[in-house]
Amino acid sequence: MKNKLAPHIEELTKALENISINVDESQIRVELEKLLDFRVPLDEAKRTIIRKFKSASMPVMKIKDITAGLKGFEVTGRIIDVTEKTVNLRGKETVIFSGTLADEDGACTFTAWNDYSLKSGDVIKIKNAYSRNWHNRSEVNFGERSGVEKLPDDVLPSMDELTKTPIKKLRDVVNTDLTISSVAIILEFSHRNVNIKGEEVTIIEGVLADETAKLPFTSWIPLDGLDIGNTIRIEKASVRMFRGVPSLNFNDNTTITAVDTSTEEMPFTFESSNKAPEPIPISEIMENDGMFDVVALGNIISIRPGSGIITRCPECNRVIQKSTCRVHATVEGVKDMRIKAILDDGTGAVSVMLNQELSEIIYGRSMVEAEDIIQKAMSQEAVFGDMRKVLTGKYLAVRGNTSSTEFGIMLVASSAWVPNNDIGIRVNALKERMGNDQTGDIDNG
Amino acid sequence: MVDREVAQRLFAKEFNDSKFNIHPKPDEVSFDGGHAPNFIVSPLGSKINRLFATGVVTEIDNIGTEHDLWRARVVDPSGAFIVYAGQYQPEAAIFLSTLEIPAYVSVVGKARIYEPEDGSVFVSIRPEDINVIDSDIRDRWIVDTAELTLDRVDAFSIALASGLTGTELFEHLVQNNIPKGLAEGISLALDYYHTNEGYLQNLKNAVLNCVKSIGSESDNENVVPDEDLILKLMKEMDTGKGIDYAELIIIAKSRGMAENVIVAAVRKLLAKGMCYEPKIGILKVVS
Repeated sequence: MKNKLAPHIEELTKALENISINVDESQIRVELEKLLDFRVPLDEAKRTIIRKFKSASMPVMKIKDITAGLKGFEVTGRIIDVTEKTVNLRGKETVIFSGTLADEDGACTFTAWNDYSLKSGDVIKIKNAYSRNWHNRSEVNFGERSGVEKLPDDVLPSMDELTKTPIKKLRDVVNTDLTISSVAIILEFSHRNVNIKGEEVTIIEGVLADETAKLPFTSWIPLDGLDIGNTIRIEKASVRMFRGVPSLNFNDNTTITAVDTSTEEMPFTFESSNKAPEPIPISEIMENDGMFDVVALGNIISIRPGSGIITRCPECNRVIQKSTCRVHATVEGVKDMRIKAILDDGTGAVSVMLNQELSEIIYGRSMVEAEDIIQKAMSQEAVFGDMRKVLTGKYLAVRGNTSSTEFGIMLVASSAWVPNNDIGIRVNALKERMGNDQTGDIDNG
Repeated sequence: MVDREVAQRLFAKEFNDSKFNIHPKPDEVSFDGGHAPNFIVSPLGSKINRLFATGVVTEIDNIGTEHDLWRARVVDPSGAFIVYAGQYQPEAAIFLSTLEIPAYVSVVGKARIYEPEDGSVFVSIRPEDINVIDSDIRDRWIVDTAELTLDRVDAFSIALASGLTGTELFEHLVQNNIPKGLAEGISLALDYYHTNEGYLQNLKNAVLNCVKSIGSESDNENVVPDEDLILKLMKEMDTGKGIDYAELIIIAKSRGMAENVIVAAVRKLLAKGMCYEPKIGILKVVS
């Protein structure tokens, strides 16, 4: 028996080595014999073993590469700060430790479910960590089944180095930035009252821009004397994530100073940064979890179910069926119209959501007319069917923000239009492109 | 989360030249947990699972025996896409069964491949959505498809110039900013089809013809409808005994009209009562 198994064990060791996993032969032998004792066919047993050791091996991750929902990885970082919290976990008081972990090119929050006597400044290697989504960014978690090992201090750059606030262009702000500094112009600016723990607080919301990108911001501090069109120098704004789009938060640690653009030249002006963005290939949109203010252009290749006339709960806006909201029970529904479409430009595909106003423009019928169709056809699906007939195959341009959902990337449109017909120019460009190629060929020959 | 398969844009010629089908092994699971999709690799390295095409429907036949199975030819300037809609595509089947031809349509669907024993290969589209469109959308589709096809030709030229194959080629292309999907497709296509400079040139000519087909319409501000041209031609040809249909097609073709356009124009004239068919194959103008 032993000798018979030897070639298979050797084969398994090799196969695992090929995917850079080193396992001791005796370990494989134990596993294989166990499975064969259960009369698992040899091929099936080998497959099981490879799978088992594959999942046991831990990929080493850099903080910037960690996305939510990963399991069993290894990560090394320096503890920037850590606080002890007592939480109620299924009726049991539990002490957890949460804080910030950083490496050379990123930082993230962490939660330790066990006491590892972590101190600010420690460099630790965490084995078998997992990540989850917390406040719209990924957080490293470790506990019971993880291993934590302290490493020498010089493995990572010093505390000062890691906590330095980088100066960034808005395009370069990512979810592993905790704080950033930048210079930008205010494009939108409005006050809003919010209720924080029973207290009325006035916050400022708006949009910032530089020559690279636009980003939303929220200020928890008053911005006296500032308004739309002002250029500001921002120091130590904290970075929050919302649906994959970064936003800047100004708080007590943030310093905002007005920039005098008459003495200091800026690479952008209000006009240059307030333009509608140029359409970008959808493949580029798909590479990002979320993007702020983008324009996409393509064919409507499908109108999805759920388009047409829908009914919403008056309390929570959820789409409801038969006057029953899953939170607010029986309610008097509010009629609404929307279009969910797949926009595809041959490089990528996104789902696009159009609200009532935009649906009316794009579909070419008002909601009243649409309700009429339903009445006449005596079918709720009639508008959906008609929308498919009117819209499938058509060209559409949309502008809005994108976010990552479980069904892929979704763009919620803030405006939508039928793109201009520019084929005259493009045909000439194509002819030139091919003409040049041909003369090129002759030259080569 | 699994990304939706992109609807590829390619001309009928490139699609119909495709013979290389890749189906993943049943237990092969892609990195994000989803199952790897089936796809057809075109000679230019386009990995086609889904495609979006536009064209003129010139023929619709019900070829089913027990159940309805509708077959349609959707013609673009380079050739024809074959579309099959059967009992599992009820909406598309109903659409085709009632469509009056000729008509411009757009089709979104899955690329299918059929390989009978004798070694021949047939590709077709199984429609997900099919709809009537106007010639404007068709023209834009031709421009989009021309641009994307030329991008593939350019990428393939880089591949041929490098002299590399397999993984090395894939990495070389990615370094040259070629999207990963296309870089993989090109590596596979080169290995399977041995696509060469000749094929690239051949396809480039096809693209040029497609683009020119738009120019001839849009350059000419006051285009004469095809029917009027045909009617004029018929009047010229008629010596009193009527016009031979086959002859009409040959002469009209020699004047630069496509066969489907001629057939469509004659059909329109018949429908309008401008001409009639006293005998099968013989046309007469109503004077």
